[in-house]
Amino acid sequence: MASTSSGDESLRLCMFDLRRGQTEGQELDKILFFHPADLDFSTQLSVIGLSEGLITFTRLFSPEAACEVIEAERHSHVFYEAEPDIWMVMVVEKNKETGAIWRIDALRRVLKEVHSLFVMFHGSIRALIEIEPTGGLTRSQLYPFITDYLSSKPFSPNLAHGIFILFPSFNTFNITNCQHFKSGLALKTAAVVNCSNLFVGKKLQLPNFRETLRERGTVKMLTLARDTALEVQSLVQVLDSCAGNLRCHSMVLFQDLLVSTTLSADDTVNLFTFAVMRLTSQALSSGASSWSYLRKGTGSSEVSSRSTSAPLDSLHSGSGGNHMHNVIRPLQNDKWTKGKDGFLMTDIWGLETGGSPDSAIPTVWLQQTQERVYLLAYQYKRLTLLLLMPTTSIVNGDLSVSAVKQQFIEDASLRVLKIEEKISRGWGGENAYHVKGYRYLVVDNDMEVSRASPSGKVTTLAKETLLALNKLREEVDVEKSRAKRQEKDLEICIRAKNNAWVIARVTRGKELYMALEKASDTLLDAADAVGTFSNRYCSGAFLMG
Amino acid sequence: MSPISESYSHVSIPFIVSSHGDRSSLKNTNHQFPEETSRGLFASNSKLLRFCLNLTLRSNPSLFLDSSPPSGFSQFIGESANIYFIHSNFAFSFSNAAGMKEKKSATASTLGRILATCSKQAKDYGSCVASKVHEVERDICLKEFLALKNCMQHTRHLSALLNMISSSQSSVGSGALSHVYIQNPPLRCNIPESRGLFYDDANRLLICTTSSQIFSWQTAPFNPDVSPSVDSISEGPILSIRFSLDKKAIAVQRSDCEIQLFHRETKQILSHKCKAGSESILGFFWSDSPLCDLAIVKTSGMDLFACDSMLNLRLVETKKVNVNWYIYTHETRLVLLASGLQCKTITGFQLSTAGVVRLPRFEMTMAKPESNSKPILSSGDVHLVTVYGRIYCLQVDREAMLLHSYRFYRDAVVQQGSLPIYSSKLSVSVVDNLLLVHQIDAKVVIIYDLFVDSRAPVSAPLPLLWRGNQGSGTSSEAAIKENESSESSTSNGNIVMYEDAWTFLVPDLILDQTNKVLWRVHLDLEASWLLLAISASSSDRTSLLEFLQRRKLEANKAKQLCLGIAKDIILERRPATQVTQAIDVLVTAYSYSVKAGTFKEIKNEQTTAATPAVGASPDNERHVPSESSIDEEVEMNLPSGSEVNMFCADEQPESQLSSPAISPDELYKFVFASVEELMVEESEYLVAIITEFLRSISAEKLKVDLNVYVMTIRLLAYSKRFAELSLFTTNKIIEPSKEVALQLLESGRQNLRVRKLGLDMLRQLSLHHDYISSLVQDGYYLEALRYAQKHKVTSVRSSLFLEAAFASNDLQHLAAILRVLSELIPGFKETSEYFTFYGLLSETGSSVAL
Repeated sequence: MASTSSGDESLRLCMFDLRRGQTEGQELDKILFFHPADLDFSTQLSVIGLSEGLITFTRLFSPEAACEVIEAERHSHVFYEAEPDIWMVMVVEKNKETGAIWRIDALRRVLKEVHSLFVMFHGSIRALIEIEPTGGLTRSQLYPFITDYLSSKPFSPNLAHGIFILFPSFNTFNITNCQHFKSGLALKTAAVVNCSNLFVGKKLQLPNFRETLRERGTVKMLTLARDTALEVQSLVQVLDSCAGNLRCHSMVLFQDLLVSTTLSADDTVNLFTFAVMRLTSQALSSGASSWSYLRKGTGSSEVSSRSTSAPLDSLHSGSGGNHMHNVIRPLQNDKWTKGKDGFLMTDIWGLETGGSPDSAIPTVWLQQTQERVYLLAYQYKRLTLLLLMPTTSIVNGDLSVSAVKQQFIEDASLRVLKIEEKISRGWGGENAYHVKGYRYLVVDNDMEVSRASPSGKVTTLAKETLLALNKLREEVDVEKSRAKRQEKDLEICIRAKNNAWVIARVTRGKELYMALEKASDTLLDAADAVGTFSNRYCSGAFLMG
Repeated sequence: MSPISESYSHVSIPFIVSSHGDRSSLKNTNHQFPEETSRGLFASNSKLLRFCLNLTLRSNPSLFLDSSPPSGFSQFIGESANIYFIHSNFAFSFSNAAGMKEKKSATASTLGRILATCSKQAKDYGSCVASKVHEVERDICLKEFLALKNCMQHTRHLSALLNMISSSQSSVGSGALSHVYIQNPPLRCNIPESRGLFYDDANRLLICTTSSQIFSWQTAPFNPDVSPSVDSISEGPILSIRFSLDKKAIAVQRSDCEIQLFHRETKQILSHKCKAGSESILGFFWSDSPLCDLAIVKTSGMDLFACDSMLNLRLVETKKVNVNWYIYTHETRLVLLASGLQCKTITGFQLSTAGVVRLPRFEMTMAKPESNSKPILSSGDVHLVTVYGRIYCLQVDREAMLLHSYRFYRDAVVQQGSLPIYSSKLSVSVVDNLLLVHQIDAKVVIIYDLFVDSRAPVSAPLPLLWRGNQGSGTSSEAAIKENESSESSTSNGNIVMYEDAWTFLVPDLILDQTNKVLWRVHLDLEASWLLLAISASSSDRTSLLEFLQRRKLEANKAKQLCLGIAKDIILERRPATQVTQAIDVLVTAYSYSVKAGTFKEIKNEQTTAATPAVGASPDNERHVPSESSIDEEVEMNLPSGSEVNMFCADEQPESQLSSPAISPDELYKFVFASVEELMVEESEYLVAIITEFLRSISAEKLKVDLNVYVMTIRLLAYSKRFAELSLFTTNKIIEPSKEVALQLLESGRQNLRVRKLGLDMLRQLSLHHDYISSLVQDGYYLEALRYAQKHKVTSVRSSLFLEAAFASNDLQHLAAILRVLSELIPGFKETSEYFTFYGLLSETGSSVAL
């Protein structure tokens, strides 16, 4: 299970801008985000002050890569420089008893992921600050965004269920749709605090040792037969030309596995992460299964939204209210529904009926091309298609989104149906990539692709094994960061307390982690088992002497 | 501008010139199609085509009329007819101009301009033609055409070109271009005192009788110089004459109650008479059915006789029907017996090698005239034709001015729809599975392709041409030497097109009784393709390709044209869906022809990956495509002998290709590879098309040249679509091979990920040597050595590792490598290399132990 840390003590997450608040008395200006938001400013500032001090100090020795982590007695401080001079710091409690054993790199990947997703929807933070130098806009976007992110449901729907049952207060979260957001009011730091109060009673999802056979920030691929792949590629080409002369990008997912993409690896990872969180059939159905819950909770959420909106309004009027920002919360839960035409709909970006019809279409930034694109999601059974259409194509008035949708349905819907059928026929189910006797994780850092034993199988591992594996991964992380640019071959085998073997092999950008609980006593046998695995499932990539 | 205009720059006029200039070499080299030449040929065609299409559809969509591009017959006969006429003339003249080496590089656009200037005249001409379509005839709307021409002549730029038009069209207004022509010289039967000319369609013999002799010419293969064989028979009237199928006997109908049989070797004569008075003999034919050898059709029915070697006739069976007249063709083995007052009740029998099949009796459709009289169907109004292995009966309905078609199945006769006719006199020929309807009064031919459901003509009605000796090639450029005018007298004698004395013989011969000559009808594939292309709307290339893929007679030409079209549609950046359809057509046709065993690869090819060329010798190929077997239709078990004759008939050596099917390799070589350079900037488009091509290939379970994959990688890498490149590779859309891996390594110079894909592929293919070398090249000498050690690879130069280690300045590595190498390679310690590097190690005084 994901670790549970209540919002108050164990987790602190902040984002600050080193270029701001340099004069005395202006320190608060640095803070772009702080969790928990209800912490008094002096504590907030002390956390940030310590971090800033360390960064400045370590930069003396290593200007390129400053501080990465502080290991204190009871806390770990994880640093991540999201953008030049914009830092994210996460402080987690070390508590061996509750099982909260962290792998620093995994935590840093959380920071990285939330930032990448934010940039995908809102553009870079630096750019936001430049647009609106008071930082109000940035804060008003960051607070709900990171809050939504941290309170995301875990990927597995079963787990999600558990969460819902355990924490019915979750549905108060629905307030996120607070009218004041919609009406485009500005939110100053203090105002947002109220919304982030919604954290209270929420479980935060941080990657602990049980998730050690998972790699955040990578894509899970579906293996296709050649003829299916050709069909898919053919469909992709239809998608590409959906918007006439301007080339569209597209991404196709089957369940939570990637089938095809025309985006760069980084963009693929971001969009894939988002799609798995919110768009795939599983993400939607987990929302649907809790539907009754939410409906039941609607009344209370209205109440709470009313109760929270009052102080917000007063605060707002006090602060002058000349900043009219439309706060968009792309990561909001349960905001996507499937329309009759197969396209997924959401009102996160506003209502389609109001104003220009295209303003309500979700847009994302592509890192590679630095362009803003419309995000259209189409779903047929387990197949989800993301169509990314340059916004310029609409701005120029050549096309309308509804025309593109129509075009899509005409050109592609039949193919989608066939492909879904074909893939479903060839798909091995949830445990398709399970290899008997092995619990593994293969990561290809070049492609940003990973494949792992199904989570259901991983849970059968003993805690000792998982802890050993977590430790091993930490070792490898250290080794990798030492080697820096140079790709090194590496092999580590550890015998855990419970006599399980945990093995890591790293070679030229590819990593293999493996736990063998029922392996025989000798190291040789364990190594052989890994060799067999490597030859059979990784085309011999992890050959070791 | 539209993408079409861009593509002009790629297809330059010099190509056209060269193609025409090289015509002789083209002919001489038979199968050897110099790439240059063939490309030129495409270029010229595509140029014309594009020009015409451009005029019709793009630059001046409303130039002539406001009608939409035509597709159906009604439209065709309607307003837009003029487009065909005008364009066919221009297109043709234009090709002549090019042929005359008038280097007018910008002709297309100039001509477009002129046409724009003369739009009024063009419009007049168009509406005139439109109003008169029902009286289709030559020199239609001559006045308007002259006005248009006059206008054009007064437009400056192109007087030279227009002169060309005039010179090529000695009689203005008549389309000098035609898709159908008869070829000089004909087969002449200059027999003095000849009394009659007969055609024996079973043996394909032209028979000329004198009072005591029979001269017979073999007409298949058609050779004008063939000399006749001579038999002598006893004197007497000859109503009809047929050789037996083994040619041992000759049967002659002497009167309406007597048939005489002559044995050619023993000179034995046998007479068969029927009951005089009560019945009379209408005719007879030989049969190869197991039941009987000779069938005699009488007014009272049909008698089937078995005939022994002594020519003794034994009555086997009698089919009792009242017969007014009958028709029989050996090609279909079908005899239709007409009865009834109007002679429209038809009883049919097929006497094939499978036995005698009685067809259900059916009635021909006859429209009622306004007067109360009932028209009577005559035998000349009914034609039996074989198209794509299907048997059709075509019946002229003069009252309705329609040509009804019926298709014969084993157990049914189904009316298939009707074609309009424009002449009360009508005849049909079949060339290369195309139905040629001769509108004799109007002196034009209309071509139909009965394969498609639509009853639209393949191209405009155009006159039958008489073509001189020189133009043995059927391409349109030869037409300049044609004797264009059908009326003009030539030294060859007076040939009057569609003279009364013409008899149309099955399937494609014309017998001129007056001049005692036999013509063979030819189809100018290129011209009809051109016309078809003009008439086809731009999206209709698919049907055009289908049409060409169905051609058997000039398979080579059809093939070249198909390649040209395929290339053009890509160069013109047609929407990928259109190109996909086109490619699908070609791939399916190829797949089919491989299965049918008719595919034969172009000779002199140097394909790297040899596709299994399922070469069937042209002798035993079936000209009947598979479609014939789909339906439960009347079988036509043609004796193989006659079939051979049917197909060795072409004078062009290059058309020995039996099928226009294009193999994937050829598609790659002549289409994709040749456009790659031109379209490298649009690699995305090209990749899309290649993917569709691969999908099509994979659906047909065919193999494809490795170079396609190599090219795909190149294109993807060029457009920096690395994500897709890795998807293509991991999903094996690009099938792994050494060539592919090397291309990945090559393209991976810009992108490490791609390079790794190449390395992985080498490893997966167990190409140890290449894998190790590439690893060392990338600086991973330790990994490489480890791999070599594991797989016992000793072929890689040991100095590679050592030098790499030395260059990296890591003495520990160097020492380790020396140690591993001495274990790996026997006798390594004795090599100079070992000493060199060992020396280096000790020199530097390293403490590393060896």
